[in-house]
Amino acid sequence: MLIQTLVTGLAIGGIYALMAVGYSLVFSILNFSNFAYGSIIMLGAYVGYYLLMKAGLPLAVSVAGSVMGAAFLCYLNERMAYSTLRKRNAASLYFMISAMGTAIFLENLVYATIGSRFYAFPEIITQQNITFWGASIGVLDVFAIVFSFTAIYMLHYFLQHSRVGIAIRAASYDMQVCQLNGVNITRLVGWVFLLAGALAGLSGMFLGMKYMVYPTMGWITNKAYIAAVIGGLGSLPGAVVGGLILGVLETLVSTYVSSVIRDVFSFSLLVVLLLVLPTGLFGKYLEEKV
Amino acid sequence: MDILRLEAVTKRFGGIVACKDISFGIPEGRIMGLIGPNGAGKTTIFNLITGVYSLTAGRIYFRGADITRLRPDELVALGIARTFQNIRLFRNLTVLDNVRIAVDRNLPYSFGAALARLPSVLSKERAVYRQATEYLAALGLSGRAGDRADSLPYGLQRKLEIARALALKPKLLLLDEPAAGMNPEESAELARLIRRIHGEFGLTTLLIEHHMDVVMELCEQIYVLNFGVKLAEGDAETVQGNPDVLRAYLGEGYKRAGN
Repeated sequence: MLIQTLVTGLAIGGIYALMAVGYSLVFSILNFSNFAYGSIIMLGAYVGYYLLMKAGLPLAVSVAGSVMGAAFLCYLNERMAYSTLRKRNAASLYFMISAMGTAIFLENLVYATIGSRFYAFPEIITQQNITFWGASIGVLDVFAIVFSFTAIYMLHYFLQHSRVGIAIRAASYDMQVCQLNGVNITRLVGWVFLLAGALAGLSGMFLGMKYMVYPTMGWITNKAYIAAVIGGLGSLPGAVVGGLILGVLETLVSTYVSSVIRDVFSFSLLVVLLLVLPTGLFGKYLEEKV
Repeated sequence: MDILRLEAVTKRFGGIVACKDISFGIPEGRIMGLIGPNGAGKTTIFNLITGVYSLTAGRIYFRGADITRLRPDELVALGIARTFQNIRLFRNLTVLDNVRIAVDRNLPYSFGAALARLPSVLSKERAVYRQATEYLAALGLSGRAGDRADSLPYGLQRKLEIARALALKPKLLLLDEPAAGMNPEESAELARLIRRIHGEFGLTTLLIEHHMDVVMELCEQIYVLNFGVKLAEGDAETVQGNPDVLRAYLGEGYKRAGN
Protein backbone atom coordinates (compact mmCIF):
# COMPACT_ATOMS: atom_id res chain seq x y z
CA MET A 1 0.00 0.00 0.00
CA LEU A 2 2.73 2.44 0.95
CA ILE A 3 4.80 1.64 -2.14
CA GLN A 4 1.75 2.09 -4.32
CA THR A 5 0.98 5.42 -2.68
CA LEU A 6 4.55 6.60 -3.05
CA VAL A 7 4.70 5.69 -6.73
CA THR A 8 1.41 7.46 -7.41
CA GLY A 9 2.64 10.42 -5.36
CA LEU A 10 5.89 10.62 -7.28
CA ALA A 11 4.02 10.39 -10.59
CA ILE A 12 1.71 13.25 -9.64
CA GLY A 13 4.67 15.08 -8.13
CA GLY A 14 6.65 14.62 -11.34
CA ILE A 15 3.82 16.19 -13.34
CA TYR A 16 3.59 19.04 -10.82
CA ALA A 17 7.35 19.44 -11.11
CA LEU A 18 7.11 19.69 -14.91
CA MET A 19 4.49 22.41 -14.64
CA ALA A 20 6.28 24.21 -11.83
CA VAL A 21 9.56 24.21 -13.75
CA GLY A 22 7.91 25.64 -16.87
CA TYR A 23 6.13 28.24 -14.80
CA SER A 24 9.30 29.14 -12.84
CA LEU A 25 11.32 29.41 -16.03
CA VAL A 26 9.08 32.20 -17.26
CA PHE A 27 8.95 33.76 -13.81
CA SER A 28 12.73 33.80 -13.47
CA ILE A 29 13.12 35.73 -16.72
CA LEU A 30 10.13 38.06 -16.87
CA ASN A 31 9.31 38.22 -13.16
CA PHE A 32 5.58 37.72 -13.43
CA SER A 33 3.12 34.94 -12.77
CA ASN A 34 2.10 33.49 -16.12
CA PHE A 35 -1.50 32.49 -15.44
CA ALA A 36 -1.98 31.54 -19.09
CA TYR A 37 0.34 28.59 -18.56
CA GLY A 38 -2.54 26.37 -17.47
CA SER A 39 -4.37 27.03 -20.73
CA ILE A 40 -1.31 26.00 -22.68
CA ILE A 41 -1.24 22.76 -20.71
CA MET A 42 -4.93 22.25 -21.47
CA LEU A 43 -4.43 22.91 -25.19
CA GLY A 44 -1.45 20.55 -25.21
CA ALA A 45 -3.70 17.82 -23.83
CA TYR A 46 -6.31 18.51 -26.52
CA VAL A 47 -3.65 18.36 -29.24
CA GLY A 48 -2.38 15.04 -27.90
CA TYR A 49 -5.90 13.62 -27.58
CA TYR A 50 -6.79 14.69 -31.10
CA LEU A 51 -3.65 13.18 -32.61
CA LEU A 52 -4.15 9.88 -30.80
CA MET A 53 -7.91 9.41 -31.02
CA LYS A 54 -9.00 11.33 -34.11
CA ALA A 55 -5.93 11.18 -36.32
CA GLY A 56 -5.13 7.68 -35.12
CA LEU A 57 -1.43 8.28 -34.67
CA PRO A 58 0.67 6.12 -32.35
CA LEU A 59 0.95 7.22 -28.71
CA ALA A 60 4.60 8.25 -28.95
CA VAL A 61 3.89 10.45 -31.96
CA SER A 62 0.89 11.98 -30.19
CA VAL A 63 2.99 12.84 -27.15
CA ALA A 64 5.63 14.41 -29.37
CA GLY A 65 2.91 16.32 -31.22
CA SER A 66 1.45 17.56 -27.97
CA VAL A 67 4.88 18.73 -26.81
CA MET A 68 5.57 20.57 -30.05
CA GLY A 69 2.08 21.99 -30.32
CA ALA A 70 2.11 23.36 -26.79
CA ALA A 71 5.61 24.78 -27.31
CA PHE A 72 4.41 26.62 -30.39
CA LEU A 73 1.26 27.90 -28.65
CA CYS A 74 3.26 29.10 -25.65
CA TYR A 75 5.60 30.95 -28.00
CA LEU A 76 2.60 32.48 -29.76
CA ASN A 77 1.17 33.47 -26.38
CA GLU A 78 4.31 35.50 -25.64
CA ARG A 79 4.42 37.11 -29.08
CA MET A 80 0.78 38.15 -28.96
CA ALA A 81 0.16 38.97 -25.31
CA TYR A 82 3.48 39.89 -23.71
CA SER A 83 6.07 41.09 -26.21
CA THR A 84 4.53 44.53 -26.67
CA LEU A 85 4.31 45.00 -22.91
CA ARG A 86 7.91 43.88 -22.60
CA LYS A 87 9.14 46.42 -25.14
CA ARG A 88 7.26 49.11 -23.25
CA ASN A 89 8.85 48.04 -19.94
CA ALA A 90 5.39 47.61 -18.45
CA ALA A 91 5.03 46.74 -14.76
CA SER A 92 4.55 43.05 -13.97
CA LEU A 93 0.94 43.64 -12.93
CA TYR A 94 0.07 44.36 -16.57
CA PHE A 95 1.69 41.09 -17.61
CA MET A 96 -0.37 39.23 -15.04
CA ILE A 97 -3.61 40.85 -16.13
CA SER A 98 -2.79 40.07 -19.73
CA ALA A 99 -1.99 36.47 -18.73
CA MET A 100 -5.30 36.07 -16.91
CA GLY A 101 -7.14 37.47 -19.90
CA THR A 102 -5.36 35.01 -22.16
CA ALA A 103 -6.24 32.12 -19.85
CA ILE A 104 -9.94 32.99 -19.79
CA PHE A 105 -9.97 33.66 -23.52
CA LEU A 106 -8.41 30.31 -24.40
CA GLU A 107 -10.68 28.42 -22.06
CA ASN A 108 -13.78 30.01 -23.57
CA LEU A 109 -12.43 29.50 -27.05
CA VAL A 110 -12.34 25.77 -26.33
CA TYR A 111 -15.87 25.89 -24.88
CA ALA A 112 -17.11 27.67 -27.97
CA THR A 113 -15.39 25.52 -30.57
CA ILE A 114 -14.87 22.04 -29.08
CA GLY A 115 -17.38 22.13 -26.26
CA SER A 116 -17.41 21.37 -22.56
CA ARG A 117 -17.31 17.58 -22.92
CA PHE A 118 -14.81 15.57 -20.91
CA TYR A 119 -12.64 13.29 -23.03
CA ALA A 120 -10.97 10.23 -21.56
CA PHE A 121 -8.04 8.37 -23.02
CA PRO A 122 -8.69 4.66 -23.66
CA GLU A 123 -8.29 2.34 -20.68
CA ILE A 124 -5.65 0.29 -22.44
CA ILE A 125 -3.34 3.24 -21.81
CA THR A 126 -4.61 4.45 -18.48
CA GLN A 127 -5.51 1.31 -16.55
CA GLN A 128 -2.55 -1.04 -17.08
CA ASN A 129 -0.92 -2.33 -13.93
CA ILE A 130 2.19 -4.26 -13.14
CA THR A 131 2.86 -6.11 -9.91
CA PHE A 132 6.06 -5.20 -8.23
CA TRP A 133 7.11 -6.46 -4.80
CA GLY A 134 3.52 -7.41 -4.15
CA ALA A 135 2.26 -3.94 -4.95
CA SER A 136 0.14 -3.14 -7.97
CA ILE A 137 1.65 -0.17 -9.78
CA GLY A 138 0.16 1.79 -12.67
CA VAL A 139 2.21 1.65 -15.87
CA LEU A 140 1.11 5.21 -16.59
CA ASP A 141 2.56 6.33 -13.24
CA VAL A 142 5.89 4.74 -14.06
CA PHE A 143 5.92 6.44 -17.44
CA ALA A 144 4.98 9.77 -15.85
CA ILE A 145 7.90 9.49 -13.44
CA VAL A 146 10.39 8.46 -16.12
CA PHE A 147 9.31 11.11 -18.62
CA SER A 148 9.13 13.96 -16.10
CA PHE A 149 12.56 13.24 -14.76
CA THR A 150 14.06 12.82 -18.21
CA ALA A 151 12.52 16.08 -19.44
CA ILE A 152 13.65 18.00 -16.37
CA TYR A 153 17.15 16.56 -16.60
CA MET A 154 17.35 17.49 -20.29
CA LEU A 155 16.28 21.03 -19.49
CA HIS A 156 18.84 21.19 -16.70
CA TYR A 157 21.58 20.02 -19.04
CA PHE A 158 20.49 22.52 -21.67
CA LEU A 159 20.55 25.40 -19.18
CA GLN A 160 23.94 24.42 -17.82
CA HIS A 161 25.79 23.76 -21.05
CA SER A 162 24.26 25.30 -24.14
CA ARG A 163 24.89 28.87 -25.19
CA VAL A 164 21.19 29.67 -25.09
CA GLY A 165 20.98 28.04 -21.67
CA ILE A 166 23.80 30.10 -20.23
CA ALA A 167 22.27 33.23 -21.70
CA ILE A 168 18.93 32.33 -20.09
CA ARG A 169 20.58 31.95 -16.70
CA ALA A 170 22.38 35.25 -17.20
CA ALA A 171 19.18 37.01 -18.24
CA SER A 172 17.39 35.66 -15.20
CA TYR A 173 19.96 37.55 -13.17
CA ASP A 174 20.16 40.75 -15.23
CA MET A 175 18.31 41.04 -18.52
CA GLN A 176 19.74 44.44 -19.45
CA VAL A 177 23.37 43.47 -18.99
CA CYS A 178 22.63 40.28 -20.90
CA GLN A 179 21.47 42.39 -23.83
CA LEU A 180 24.53 44.62 -23.47
CA ASN A 181 26.58 41.47 -23.92
CA GLY A 182 25.10 40.95 -27.32
CA VAL A 183 22.17 38.69 -26.51
CA ASN A 184 19.04 39.26 -28.59
CA ILE A 185 16.49 39.39 -25.77
CA THR A 186 13.44 38.93 -27.99
CA ARG A 187 14.88 35.70 -29.34
CA LEU A 188 15.93 34.59 -25.85
CA VAL A 189 12.45 35.16 -24.43
CA GLY A 190 11.11 33.20 -27.40
CA TRP A 191 13.32 30.28 -26.38
CA VAL A 192 12.12 30.43 -22.80
CA PHE A 193 8.49 30.24 -23.87
CA LEU A 194 9.22 27.40 -26.30
CA LEU A 195 10.88 25.41 -23.54
CA ALA A 196 8.15 26.18 -21.02
CA GLY A 197 5.55 25.23 -23.63
CA ALA A 198 7.25 21.90 -24.33
CA LEU A 199 7.04 21.03 -20.63
CA ALA A 200 3.41 22.17 -20.64
CA GLY A 201 2.62 19.80 -23.52
CA LEU A 202 4.19 16.85 -21.74
CA SER A 203 2.45 17.56 -18.45
CA GLY A 204 -0.85 18.21 -20.26
CA MET A 205 -0.62 14.84 -21.96
CA PHE A 206 0.02 13.01 -18.68
CA LEU A 207 -2.68 14.95 -16.85
CA GLY A 208 -5.11 14.12 -19.63
CA MET A 209 -4.26 10.44 -19.41
CA LYS A 210 -4.35 10.34 -15.63
CA TYR A 211 -7.57 12.32 -15.27
CA MET A 212 -9.41 13.61 -18.34
CA VAL A 213 -9.23 16.27 -21.02
CA TYR A 214 -11.61 19.21 -20.48
CA PRO A 215 -11.55 23.00 -20.84
CA THR A 216 -10.80 23.92 -17.22
CA MET A 217 -8.19 21.24 -16.60
CA GLY A 218 -5.51 23.94 -16.82
CA TRP A 219 -6.36 25.32 -13.40
CA ILE A 220 -4.43 22.42 -11.92
CA THR A 221 -1.46 24.75 -12.45
CA ASN A 222 -2.54 26.23 -9.12
CA LYS A 223 -0.73 23.20 -7.76
CA ALA A 224 2.34 24.16 -9.74
CA TYR A 225 2.28 27.59 -8.10
CA ILE A 226 2.16 25.89 -4.70
CA ALA A 227 5.06 23.65 -5.74
CA ALA A 228 7.03 26.69 -6.91
CA VAL A 229 6.37 28.47 -3.60
CA ILE A 230 7.46 25.39 -1.62
CA GLY A 231 10.71 25.30 -3.57
CA GLY A 232 11.19 29.07 -3.74
CA LEU A 233 9.78 31.17 -6.57
CA GLY A 234 12.01 31.36 -9.62
CA SER A 235 14.28 28.54 -8.48
CA LEU A 236 14.24 25.58 -10.88
CA PRO A 237 15.65 22.96 -8.48
CA GLY A 238 13.17 24.32 -5.97
CA ALA A 239 10.32 23.78 -8.42
CA VAL A 240 11.32 20.13 -8.90
CA VAL A 241 11.65 19.38 -5.20
CA GLY A 242 8.51 21.37 -4.40
CA GLY A 243 6.53 19.47 -7.03
CA LEU A 244 7.63 16.09 -5.71
CA ILE A 245 6.99 17.00 -2.08
CA LEU A 246 3.51 18.29 -2.90
CA GLY A 247 2.64 15.26 -5.04
CA VAL A 248 3.69 12.75 -2.39
CA LEU A 249 2.08 14.66 0.51
CA GLU A 250 -1.17 15.03 -1.40
CA THR A 251 -1.33 11.36 -2.26
CA LEU A 252 -0.56 10.40 1.34
CA VAL A 253 -3.36 12.68 2.51
CA SER A 254 -5.90 11.28 0.06
CA THR A 255 -4.90 7.69 0.83
CA TYR A 256 -4.63 7.81 4.59
CA VAL A 257 -6.97 10.67 5.51
CA SER A 258 -9.50 11.50 2.82
CA SER A 259 -9.38 12.54 -0.80
CA VAL A 260 -11.99 15.18 -0.01
CA ILE A 261 -9.59 17.25 2.05
CA ARG A 262 -6.68 16.85 -0.41
CA ASP A 263 -7.01 20.31 -1.91
CA VAL A 264 -7.89 21.86 1.46
CA PHE A 265 -4.58 20.48 2.64
CA SER A 266 -2.61 21.74 -0.38
CA PHE A 267 -3.90 25.28 -0.27
CA SER A 268 -3.58 25.51 3.51
CA LEU A 269 0.00 24.44 3.02
CA LEU A 270 0.45 27.33 0.58
CA VAL A 271 -0.90 29.89 3.03
CA VAL A 272 1.12 28.54 5.94
CA LEU A 273 4.30 28.40 3.87
CA LEU A 274 3.93 31.96 2.70
CA LEU A 275 3.66 32.97 6.33
CA VAL A 276 6.51 30.98 7.83
CA LEU A 277 8.86 30.33 4.91
CA PRO A 278 8.13 32.91 2.20
CA THR A 279 11.37 32.26 0.32
CA GLY A 280 10.69 28.53 0.12
CA LEU A 281 13.39 25.90 0.34
CA PHE A 282 15.73 27.29 -2.33
CA GLY A 283 14.60 30.87 -2.87
CA LYS A 284 17.24 33.50 -2.31
CA TYR A 285 16.13 36.64 -4.05
CA LEU A 286 13.00 37.56 -2.16
CA GLU A 287 13.74 41.29 -2.15
CA GLU A 288 14.79 41.39 -5.78
CA LYS A 289 12.51 38.85 -7.31
CA VAL A 290 9.08 38.92 -5.75
CA MET B 1 38.96 58.95 -39.19
CA ASP B 2 36.63 59.05 -36.20
CA ILE B 3 35.41 55.62 -35.19
CA LEU B 4 32.60 57.16 -33.14
CA ARG B 5 30.88 60.51 -33.71
CA LEU B 6 28.21 62.13 -31.58
CA GLU B 7 26.35 64.97 -33.27
CA ALA B 8 24.25 67.34 -31.17
CA VAL B 9 23.18 64.50 -28.89
CA THR B 10 20.47 65.48 -26.41
CA LYS B 11 18.67 63.38 -23.81
CA ARG B 12 15.77 64.62 -21.71
CA PHE B 13 14.05 62.69 -18.92
CA GLY B 14 10.76 64.53 -18.56
CA GLY B 15 11.81 68.06 -17.71
CA ILE B 16 15.37 67.17 -16.80
CA VAL B 17 18.01 67.63 -19.46
CA ALA B 18 20.61 64.93 -18.79
CA CYS B 19 22.80 66.01 -21.67
CA LYS B 20 22.42 68.71 -24.24
CA ASP B 21 24.00 69.27 -27.64
CA ILE B 22 26.92 66.98 -27.05
CA SER B 23 29.16 66.63 -30.11
CA PHE B 24 32.52 64.93 -30.25
CA GLY B 25 34.41 62.32 -32.18
CA ILE B 26 36.96 59.71 -31.18
CA PRO B 27 39.72 59.01 -33.69
CA GLU B 28 40.35 55.30 -34.20
CA GLY B 29 42.97 53.86 -31.87
CA ARG B 30 42.83 56.69 -29.37
CA ILE B 31 42.11 56.65 -25.63
CA MET B 32 39.70 59.44 -24.81
CA GLY B 33 38.62 60.59 -21.37
CA LEU B 34 35.15 61.72 -20.39
CA ILE B 35 35.26 63.62 -17.11
CA GLY B 36 33.12 65.92 -15.04
CA PRO B 37 31.42 66.17 -11.66
CA ASN B 38 28.87 63.59 -10.48
CA GLY B 39 25.59 63.98 -12.30
CA ALA B 40 27.21 65.70 -15.27
CA GLY B 41 25.73 63.13 -17.69
CA LYS B 42 28.76 60.95 -18.37
CA THR B 43 27.07 57.60 -17.80
CA THR B 44 24.02 58.89 -19.69
CA ILE B 45 26.28 59.33 -22.71
CA PHE B 46 27.47 55.72 -22.33
CA ASN B 47 23.85 54.59 -22.10
CA LEU B 48 23.01 56.53 -25.27
CA ILE B 49 25.98 55.11 -27.18
CA THR B 50 25.18 51.52 -26.13
CA GLY B 51 21.45 51.80 -26.86
CA VAL B 52 20.20 51.52 -23.27
CA TYR B 53 18.47 54.89 -23.69
CA SER B 54 17.06 56.28 -26.89
CA LEU B 55 18.12 59.77 -27.92
CA THR B 56 15.78 62.74 -27.61
CA ALA B 57 17.64 64.48 -30.43
CA GLY B 58 20.89 64.15 -32.34
CA ARG B 59 22.72 61.37 -34.13
CA ILE B 60 25.43 58.87 -33.32
CA TYR B 61 27.69 57.41 -36.00
CA PHE B 62 29.94 54.38 -35.64
CA ARG B 63 32.52 53.82 -38.39
CA GLY B 64 30.53 56.11 -40.62
CA ALA B 65 27.18 54.35 -40.18
CA ASP B 66 24.21 55.85 -38.34
CA ILE B 67 23.61 53.76 -35.21
CA THR B 68 21.17 56.09 -33.46
CA ARG B 69 18.23 53.69 -33.39
CA LEU B 70 19.93 50.33 -32.95
CA ARG B 71 19.28 47.88 -30.11
CA PRO B 72 21.99 47.15 -27.53
CA ASP B 73 22.67 43.68 -28.89
CA GLU B 74 22.99 45.01 -32.43
CA LEU B 75 25.50 47.60 -31.24
CA VAL B 76 27.48 44.83 -29.56
CA ALA B 77 27.51 42.94 -32.85
CA LEU B 78 28.94 46.03 -34.56
CA GLY B 79 31.77 46.18 -32.04
CA ILE B 80 30.83 48.37 -29.07
CA ALA B 81 31.32 46.93 -25.58
CA ARG B 82 31.20 48.49 -22.16
CA THR B 83 31.69 47.99 -18.45
CA PHE B 84 29.59 49.47 -15.66
CA GLN B 85 30.11 52.02 -12.95
CA ASN B 86 28.49 49.75 -10.38
CA ILE B 87 29.82 46.33 -11.35
CA ARG B 88 27.16 44.31 -13.11
CA LEU B 89 28.34 40.76 -13.46
CA PHE B 90 26.12 37.72 -13.68
CA ARG B 91 26.82 37.01 -10.04
CA ASN B 92 25.00 33.68 -10.10
CA LEU B 93 27.25 32.25 -12.83
CA THR B 94 30.85 31.10 -12.74
CA VAL B 95 33.68 33.38 -13.80
CA LEU B 96 34.15 31.26 -16.92
CA ASP B 97 30.45 31.35 -17.84
CA ASN B 98 30.39 35.15 -17.51
CA VAL B 99 32.98 35.33 -20.26
CA ARG B 100 31.47 32.44 -22.24
CA ILE B 101 28.26 34.39 -22.77
CA ALA B 102 30.28 37.05 -24.51
CA VAL B 103 32.43 34.62 -26.51
CA ASP B 104 29.30 32.77 -27.62
CA ARG B 105 28.15 35.86 -29.52
CA ASN B 106 31.09 35.43 -31.85
CA LEU B 107 30.52 31.80 -32.69
CA PRO B 108 26.98 31.21 -33.84
CA TYR B 109 25.67 27.71 -34.40
CA SER B 110 22.16 26.43 -34.72
CA PHE B 111 20.21 24.82 -31.92
CA GLY B 112 19.31 21.84 -34.09
CA ALA B 113 22.96 21.07 -34.56
CA ALA B 114 23.58 21.58 -30.87
CA LEU B 115 20.92 19.03 -30.00
CA ALA B 116 22.34 16.53 -32.42
CA ARG B 117 25.76 17.11 -30.83
CA LEU B 118 27.38 17.36 -34.23
CA PRO B 119 31.15 17.22 -34.28
CA SER B 120 31.26 20.80 -35.53
CA VAL B 121 29.33 21.89 -32.44
CA LEU B 122 31.73 20.07 -30.18
CA SER B 123 34.72 21.67 -31.84
CA LYS B 124 33.05 25.06 -31.57
CA GLU B 125 32.34 24.44 -27.91
CA ARG B 126 36.00 23.67 -27.43
CA ALA B 127 36.82 26.89 -29.26
CA VAL B 128 34.47 28.84 -26.99
CA TYR B 129 36.08 27.30 -23.95
CA ARG B 130 39.58 28.02 -25.25
CA GLN B 131 38.79 31.61 -26.12
CA ALA B 132 37.08 32.24 -22.81
CA THR B 133 40.10 30.93 -20.91
CA GLU B 134 42.37 33.12 -23.02
CA TYR B 135 40.47 36.26 -22.04
CA LEU B 136 40.57 35.20 -18.41
CA ALA B 137 44.32 34.65 -18.70
CA ALA B 138 44.80 38.07 -20.30
CA LEU B 139 43.24 39.65 -17.21
CA GLY B 140 44.99 37.35 -14.74
CA LEU B 141 41.84 35.48 -13.74
CA SER B 142 42.80 31.96 -14.84
CA GLY B 143 42.91 30.55 -11.33
CA ARG B 144 39.32 31.60 -10.59
CA ALA B 145 37.55 30.22 -13.70
CA GLY B 146 35.36 27.77 -11.78
CA ASP B 147 34.40 30.13 -8.93
CA ARG B 148 31.12 31.97 -8.77
CA ALA B 149 31.48 35.57 -9.91
CA ASP B 150 30.21 36.95 -6.61
CA SER B 151 32.95 35.17 -4.70
CA LEU B 152 35.66 37.31 -6.34
CA PRO B 153 37.15 40.25 -4.48
CA TYR B 154 36.15 43.66 -5.76
CA GLY B 155 39.26 44.35 -7.84
CA LEU B 156 38.98 41.04 -9.65
CA GLN B 157 35.29 41.64 -10.34
CA ARG B 158 36.30 44.83 -12.16
CA LYS B 159 38.80 42.83 -14.18
CA LEU B 160 36.22 40.18 -14.94
CA GLU B 161 33.92 42.86 -16.33
CA ILE B 162 36.73 44.02 -18.58
CA ALA B 163 37.43 40.42 -19.65
CA ARG B 164 33.75 39.94 -20.50
CA ALA B 165 33.71 43.17 -22.52
CA LEU B 166 36.88 42.15 -24.39
CA ALA B 167 35.38 38.76 -25.19
CA LEU B 168 32.77 40.56 -27.31
CA LYS B 169 35.66 41.47 -29.64
CA PRO B 170 34.89 45.20 -29.56
CA LYS B 171 36.45 47.87 -31.72
CA LEU B 172 35.32 50.48 -29.23
CA LEU B 173 35.53 49.85 -25.50
CA LEU B 174 33.65 52.05 -23.04
CA LEU B 175 34.98 51.89 -19.49
CA ASP B 176 32.77 53.46 -16.83
CA GLU B 177 34.89 54.37 -13.79
CA PRO B 178 37.08 51.27 -13.83
CA ALA B 179 39.24 52.61 -10.98
CA ALA B 180 36.33 53.46 -8.69
CA GLY B 181 37.05 52.40 -5.13
CA MET B 182 40.71 51.66 -5.81
CA ASN B 183 43.68 53.09 -3.94
CA PRO B 184 46.42 54.98 -5.86
CA GLU B 185 48.58 51.88 -6.27
CA GLU B 186 45.72 49.77 -7.56
CA SER B 187 44.56 52.49 -9.94
CA ALA B 188 48.11 52.90 -11.28
CA GLU B 189 48.19 49.16 -11.93
CA LEU B 190 44.79 49.40 -13.60
CA ALA B 191 46.02 52.23 -15.83
CA ARG B 192 48.88 50.01 -17.00
CA LEU B 193 46.41 47.20 -17.62
CA ILE B 194 44.12 49.45 -19.66
CA ARG B 195 47.04 50.65 -21.76
CA ARG B 196 48.19 47.08 -22.34
CA ILE B 197 44.81 45.72 -23.47
CA HIS B 198 44.20 48.86 -25.51
CA GLY B 199 47.28 48.01 -27.56
CA GLU B 200 46.98 44.24 -27.46
CA PHE B 201 43.37 44.11 -28.68
CA GLY B 202 43.61 47.05 -31.10
CA LEU B 203 40.95 49.09 -29.32
CA THR B 204 39.63 52.57 -29.28
CA THR B 205 38.81 53.39 -25.68
CA LEU B 206 36.45 55.88 -24.09
CA LEU B 207 37.03 56.22 -20.38
CA ILE B 208 34.93 57.78 -17.63
CA GLU B 209 37.08 58.25 -14.57
CA HIS B 210 37.41 60.41 -11.47
CA HIS B 211 40.98 59.39 -10.66
CA MET B 212 42.79 62.24 -12.42
CA ASP B 213 46.14 60.45 -12.33
CA VAL B 214 44.59 57.63 -14.37
CA VAL B 215 42.95 60.04 -16.81
CA MET B 216 46.02 62.19 -17.30
CA GLU B 217 48.23 59.13 -17.66
CA LEU B 218 46.08 57.46 -20.30
CA CYS B 219 44.07 59.96 -22.26
CA GLU B 220 45.38 61.83 -25.26
CA GLN B 221 42.13 63.70 -25.49
CA ILE B 222 39.64 64.75 -22.82
CA TYR B 223 36.04 65.91 -22.99
CA VAL B 224 34.70 67.69 -19.90
CA LEU B 225 31.00 67.72 -19.06
CA ASN B 226 29.16 69.80 -16.50
CA PHE B 227 25.38 69.74 -15.94
CA GLY B 228 24.89 67.90 -19.22
CA VAL B 229 26.73 70.42 -21.40
CA LYS B 230 30.26 70.61 -22.73
CA LEU B 231 32.60 72.56 -20.51
CA ALA B 232 35.89 72.01 -22.30
CA GLU B 233 37.66 69.73 -24.76
CA GLY B 234 41.26 69.14 -25.64
CA ASP B 235 44.44 67.37 -24.57
CA ALA B 236 45.39 66.85 -20.94
CA GLU B 237 47.45 70.06 -20.76
CA THR B 238 44.72 72.27 -22.17
CA VAL B 239 42.00 70.81 -19.95
CA GLN B 240 44.07 71.04 -16.79
CA GLY B 241 44.82 74.69 -17.52
CA ASN B 242 41.24 75.63 -18.33
CA PRO B 243 39.90 77.92 -15.58
CA ASP B 244 36.30 76.71 -16.07
CA VAL B 245 37.35 73.11 -15.52
CA LEU B 246 39.38 74.03 -12.47
CA ARG B 247 36.43 75.87 -11.00
CA ALA B 248 33.73 73.31 -11.78
CA TYR B 249 35.58 70.08 -11.28
CA LEU B 250 39.27 69.79 -10.55
CA GLY B 251 39.32 72.51 -7.91
CA GLU B 252 41.28 75.77 -7.86
CA GLY B 253 44.13 74.13 -5.94
CA TYR B 254 44.57 71.33 -8.47
CA LYS B 255 47.58 72.79 -10.35
CA ARG B 256 49.39 73.88 -7.26
CA ALA B 257 48.84 70.52 -5.55
CA GLY B 258 51.73 69.04 -7.46
CA ASN B 259 50.30 68.16 -10.80
